[in-house]
This record gives sequence, C-alpha cells and structure tokens, in this order.
Amino acid sequence: MTSAPITTATNFLAFLGLVSTLLIVWRQNWPGRRRLFIVQSLLLAALAAIIAAYAHRPELFLVAAIVVLLKAWLIPRILGRMAAGTPPRPVTPGRSAGLSLLAAGGLIVAAYVIMLPVTTVSELPTEGGIPLTFAMALIGLFVTVTGRDVLGHILGFLMFENGIFGLALLATYGLPGIVEAGVFLDVLVVVLILEGVVLQIRREHDSIAVDRLRELRG
Amino acid sequence: MTALVYVLAVIVGLAAGAVGVGGMLGIGMTWRLPALLPLGGVSLVLDPLAGVFLALVGFAAVPASLYALGDTRRTPRGRVAYLLFVGAMAVVPLAANALTFLLAWELMSLASYVLVMHDRESREAIRAGWVYAVMTHAGVVCLVVGMLLLGTWTGSFEVGAWRAAALAPGARNLVWTLLALGFAVKAGVIPLHVWLPLAHPAAPSHVSALMSGVMIKLGVYGLIRISLDWLGDGPAWWGTAILLAGAVSAVVGVLSAIVDRDLKRVLAFSSIENMGIILIGLGAGVLYHAAGLPALAVLGLTAALYHAVNHAAFKTLLFLGAGAVVHATGTRDMDALGGLIKRMPWTTACFLTGAVAIAALPPLNGFVSEWLTFQALLQNLLIERPGVNLVFALGIAALALTGGLAVACFVRVFGISFLAVPRSDASARAHETEVPPRLAMTMLAVACLALGLGATAVAPALARVGSELIGVVGSLALGDALTLDVSGNFASLSVPVVAVALTLAGLGIVGGLAITGRGRVRRYETWSCGRMLQTPRMEYTATAFANPFKRVFHFFYRPVEQIDIAAHPASRLFVQRIEYANPTRSLFDDWLYRPLLDSVHRSVRVVRVLQSGSANLYLAYILLALLVMLVFA
Repeated sequence: MTSAPITTATNFLAFLGLVSTLLIVWRQNWPGRRRLFIVQSLLLAALAAIIAAYAHRPELFLVAAIVVLLKAWLIPRILGRMAAGTPPRPVTPGRSAGLSLLAAGGLIVAAYVIMLPVTTVSELPTEGGIPLTFAMALIGLFVTVTGRDVLGHILGFLMFENGIFGLALLATYGLPGIVEAGVFLDVLVVVLILEGVVLQIRREHDSIAVDRLRELRG
Repeated sequence: MTALVYVLAVIVGLAAGAVGVGGMLGIGMTWRLPALLPLGGVSLVLDPLAGVFLALVGFAAVPASLYALGDTRRTPRGRVAYLLFVGAMAVVPLAANALTFLLAWELMSLASYVLVMHDRESREAIRAGWVYAVMTHAGVVCLVVGMLLLGTWTGSFEVGAWRAAALAPGARNLVWTLLALGFAVKAGVIPLHVWLPLAHPAAPSHVSALMSGVMIKLGVYGLIRISLDWLGDGPAWWGTAILLAGAVSAVVGVLSAIVDRDLKRVLAFSSIENMGIILIGLGAGVLYHAAGLPALAVLGLTAALYHAVNHAAFKTLLFLGAGAVVHATGTRDMDALGGLIKRMPWTTACFLTGAVAIAALPPLNGFVSEWLTFQALLQNLLIERPGVNLVFALGIAALALTGGLAVACFVRVFGISFLAVPRSDASARAHETEVPPRLAMTMLAVACLALGLGATAVAPALARVGSELIGVVGSLALGDALTLDVSGNFASLSVPVVAVALTLAGLGIVGGLAITGRGRVRRYETWSCGRMLQTPRMEYTATAFANPFKRVFHFFYRPVEQIDIAAHPASRLFVQRIEYANPTRSLFDDWLYRPLLDSVHRSVRVVRVLQSGSANLYLAYILLALLVMLVFA
C-alpha cells in the first residue's frame, strides 16, 4: 500500500506520541515522567510544523513555536519547581504498572471504536493518526484518574490537553488562532494556580498524596 | 442616605401608582428594548389589568416606604434590596414576554428573600429565609418550565403570540397546571403556603406589609392571566380547581389565624384566608367564562380584583400597625400585650379601622368585595350542571364560614392586644410611634373607608378592566352613583345608605340611653369573684380565647395539652405554679412535608455512596461519563 509522505509522517509522529504517553504510564519515577512529557510536547510541535508546511497554514508554525516554548520548556520548569523536595518515587512503592498499561491498551481500543464514524467519513490524509491522538487524550485522563498525588493529576491533565491538541491538528489542521491562544493561556494559568495550591497544601499537610484528601469528606 | 432611599421609594410608588391608574382607565403603553437581552429583550406593555396591579404596587409602596422613613435607625439593612423589591414588583405586571417576566419575578423573590433574612442573628429568620427560598424557587422552576414549554409550542416568547396560538388541549392543560402551581406558591395557596407564616413575621414590618399587601397578589395576577388571557378560553376544571383551592385556603387560613398567638403570624395566616376569598371570586369568574356567561364572569373577576385591592389596603395597614406595636413593646406575643389603646391611641384607631375592614363589616371596603363575591357565587344556578353547582355551594359555605371566623379572629386580635390592662411591663411602657408611620397608617385607613363608601366608583372601573380582559362588548351596568346593582335586579347595595343608617342607629342608641338616663356612667371596681387583688393575670388571654375553637375544630388543630404543675414539697395540695399550653400540630407538616422531606433524605443517603471522598474516584466518574457519552452518542 502506497501512501503520501504526509500520511506516513503524521501517522508516525502520532504513533511516537502515543508511545511516549504509554511510557509515562509505565514509568514510576517522577523526573523520568517529566522528561517524557517534554518529549511528547516536542513531538506535537513537530506534528504542528509538518501540518503547517503541508496545509500552507503559516500561523501553525507560530503555534508549534509556542508549544515548544510553553509545554517543552516553561511548564516542565514549573513542574520541576513544584516537585522540588518530594521523593522522586511515590511514597508507597510496589504497585506494578502492568494493570495500568492494560487499561491504557483498553483505552486505545476504545479510541479506535469511538473514532470509527469519524475515520470512515474522513478524506483527510492525516486521518490515520486521529484515533492515536484521541487515545493520548483518554490515557491522559486515565493518568489523572489513577494519580496518587497532585503532581500525577497535573501531569495527566497536561497529557489530556496535549492529546486534544493533537486531535485538533489532525482532524481540522489546527483550531482558529483565538481559540488556540485561549487554550494555551488556560493551560498556563491552570499550572500556575496549581503551583500555588500545591505549595499551600504541602505547607499545611506535609504531603500532597491524594489519599489524605479523604479526610476532608463532609 | 437611608432616608433618601425611602424617599426615592415613595416617588417610585407614586409614579407607579399614577401610571397604573392611567393604564386602568385605558391608556395603553408599550416599551420595548429588544437589544438588551436575548430571547426578545425587555418588553413591557401597559394594559388595564396590568394597570390595576401596578397601581396596587405603587399605592402600597408609598405608605410602606413612609413608615420605613419614620425610623431609619430601625431599618439599617436591606435598603437596596427594598428598592429592588419595589421596582421588580412594578415590572412584573407590565412584563410582556417570558424573559422579562421571569427576570422581574426572580428579582422580586430574591430581594424579598434578602429582606426576610435581614436579622441574620435570629434562628427564626434564618429558618424562615430557608423555607421561603426553597418554596419560592420550587415555584420559579414550575414557572420557567411552563413558560419554556409554552414558548416552544407556540414558537414565541411574547405573550401576544401566546394569545393568538391555538394549543392542543393536553399541552394547554399541562402549561396551565405548571404555571398555576408556580403562581399558587407565591399566592400562598394551601398547601403551598408553608413559607408565608414564617417569612412574613420574620421580615421588617414595612416589608411584611408589602409582601402581604402586594407581592402575594402578583400570584393572583398570574393566575388571572393564565386562566383568562394568555392561554385563551380554558376548560371548566381550571375554574373548579381555583375555586376549591380558594375555599380550602380561606377556611384553613382563618382557622390557623384564630389560634396563633404571634400578632404578625395571625396577620400572615389571615392573608392566606383573604387570598382564598380572592381565588373563590376568580374561580367563579373562570367557571362562568367556561360556561359561556361573560357578564357573570366579569362579575366574579370584578369581585376578585376588588378584594385584591381591598386586601392590599387593609393588610398593609394592619401590618404597619402591628409593626408599630412590635416596635413599641418589643414583642409579637399577644399574651404579653394589652392596654395599648391608652398608650397608642392613634395606632389603635388605625388598627381598629383595618380590623373592621378585614372582618368585612359595613361600611368599610372588605364588606363590599365579599358581598360582590357572594353575589357572583349565588347566581350559579344559571349553569345547569349539578357538579358545578356543588362546587359553587362549597365555595359559598366556605366563604360564609370564613366570614364568621374572621370576625372572631379580629375581635381576638384587637381585644387582646389593645384593650384591657397591659399583660407585661413592655406593654405598659409602650409609646405612640413617630409622625411618618402615623401618617402612613392614616392614609391607609382613609383608603379603606374610601374604597368602601366609593364602591359605586371603584366597582364599575374594575368591571371595565374585567370586561376588557374577557372581551365583553359594551360596559357592564353596575347601578348608579349611590347604589350597586348586580345583574339587573338580582341584588343591590348602597354603602353610603348603610353607613348613614349605621351612624343613625349608633346615635339613636347613645341618644336613647342619654334620654332615659341609663347611659350615666358609674365608675366602680370590677367584681372579681371575691378576690381582693386584681392583676393582669386574671385577664382573658389569647390562648383562652382560642380554646373553644380548638375544641370545635379538634380534628384540624389536633392540639396537644401540656400541663405542668409544680406543687409544694410538703403537700401536693399546695400548688406553687401551673403552666398550661396547648400547641396545635400542623396537618400539612405532618402529612405532606415531613414524609416528602424524609423520602428526599432517604434518597440523598443512597446517592451519598457516590461521594466516597476519593479524588481519584471522582475523576474516574468524569472519564467514565466521557467514554459512555462518546460510545453511545
């Protein structure tokens, strides 16, 4: 089966993005997960640049640059600042990543099933990557759900956002500029606010483990 | 600053009253600001019916604001809410599309909620505010759903389009039921009244006066609109439902009023009773309209409107009077009052006028409207359907019973609170109020008298409003300048003649006593069964007055007798102290609201399982919901 170079490129990049996502699920070590998130963001920036070149949408180059700046540099830095002082691994080790990976696999299947109506009617050369990026978003949510501390939740949320961004790139060649700008600003503000909150929680409770939130139940 | 707000409220009231009277007399006006809001924007239309209620809002707001002006130190909180309250009430009758109406309605409810909660230290006020908020929003939900359905089915949110649209009977009945429930909550119709006896006493008196005098009338306004105007000609069961709800409200309202010891709560229950009387008139009007008797429909509607206007006058007066009493004595408990006639003569005179008017004694206004209601009901045999006649008969019986009990109720309120000797130090130290409240009460007392003596001017004006609404061609003859003639020669009443006759009779009795010498006043000690010492404790109390009613209507009150006797330790024959109370138990709390709330609590406990306290689980709900939606969407 021959396919256009654009299809090969986008499919490959989306595939690599999904692999990085799965690796984040697998890794337990926090600095490692943060580095993988940088890799994922860089892959998406590359995806944006390729689509910008293919679809003659110069503003997508700008978007790619912003992704690099924001998600591969600024936000990881803030995440590193937040994590300063926490042990690199969760306090309660021993939980294997096997079950999580199995669930992630299930989510990938679900993503293909859910996106079936879209991919069957789509004529885009980039349609092959659509279920992959959607799976990235779902797995991001899954990381949020299973996160054992606040950092896990934030990372999951950012991965979810990355997945949505990739999905928008492949399905519509990027969102209108104003929406894109709004989303970037939202993500930045969320991370900044959460930084404050995390520091506050740690100061008050000496821990950012989610289990202890149970004590707040009314 | 505070004074300025109330002066502004007086000006707003006067303006609204003037515009309202203009509207009543047939000056139509339309204001539209389509750009201001979505769904048609702000749309206000002045028609005769809107004019009546706008005038009601305006003319009740003037004395209420004047009363508040009398002592601005007493009402430091809630000035903005008060202004909003008055303003929103003025917009409600004018609103000519769903959004304008609902916004004004909600603003009115929220502002009054803030005013009910003005005393945030008192548990009673907080509870009252809570119940009021829940009930009023349950009503708003019905209104919103009803209007949205109506808007969807007719394709327009303008009331003009609602009139023109021909809905299927089922759809129309559903919309009517929803809207009627929403308006009935506001009107305090039994059994949706539970907020009313809590909220009215908790609010400051000038606000209670407006809530009772005007706000609940807007519920009646809504019922008139949906039953005779917005939804076109309705089936007979709408009228039956309104009439029966009115009959139940009237009887239950007055029965509750007659045993309560809280002065303001008695007035609140009496408001429920009077709303019942208004609804009996309205229900009769709707039934006649459905039976194709437009002249009688106008008569029923006229009686309802007349009683609404009258009730606004005397209930505002009574609440302001009660406010003056509460301010002077610091208590609302009638068993701690007494002897106020010597200490607050002006307030007493005004309160007595209001009490006579609300007890429907001639020649004051309450008599005229209840007489008109009776005349509307008594002609029901023109509808030749036994079922409908039975409904009317129930209405007549309820109205008659209510009339009698209302007299007893206000004899008790006035006699216990104002006559005899003070039952407490606070009552003994009472003083007359300031000038502006007195002025406010005097204005309203004069209005009660004028609405009674001027019946031949008021009734035809209201009848014109009614015929305009129902679409009767030609005006309805209601007698000449001195006499009201109902339906030709069915019945007639001349209030001035009655007034003159009563005055002459009074003069005759006084004169006769003077001539025969029996009227000579001899002052002597009251015989006290041989006891040497007379104390206020020997007086008849509000509780004692209510006891015969508690016995007769035992099945309704279900009173609990509580006797606590403290005897001397040496012998139980030497009684040191006896405490007696027989509180009543509310049927509606025990049989309707308690089971309802219990079932809500039970289901909430089931749902609470979902709230495990684990943030991960909550996030999992989101993921699951997303997946389910995406897979099945």
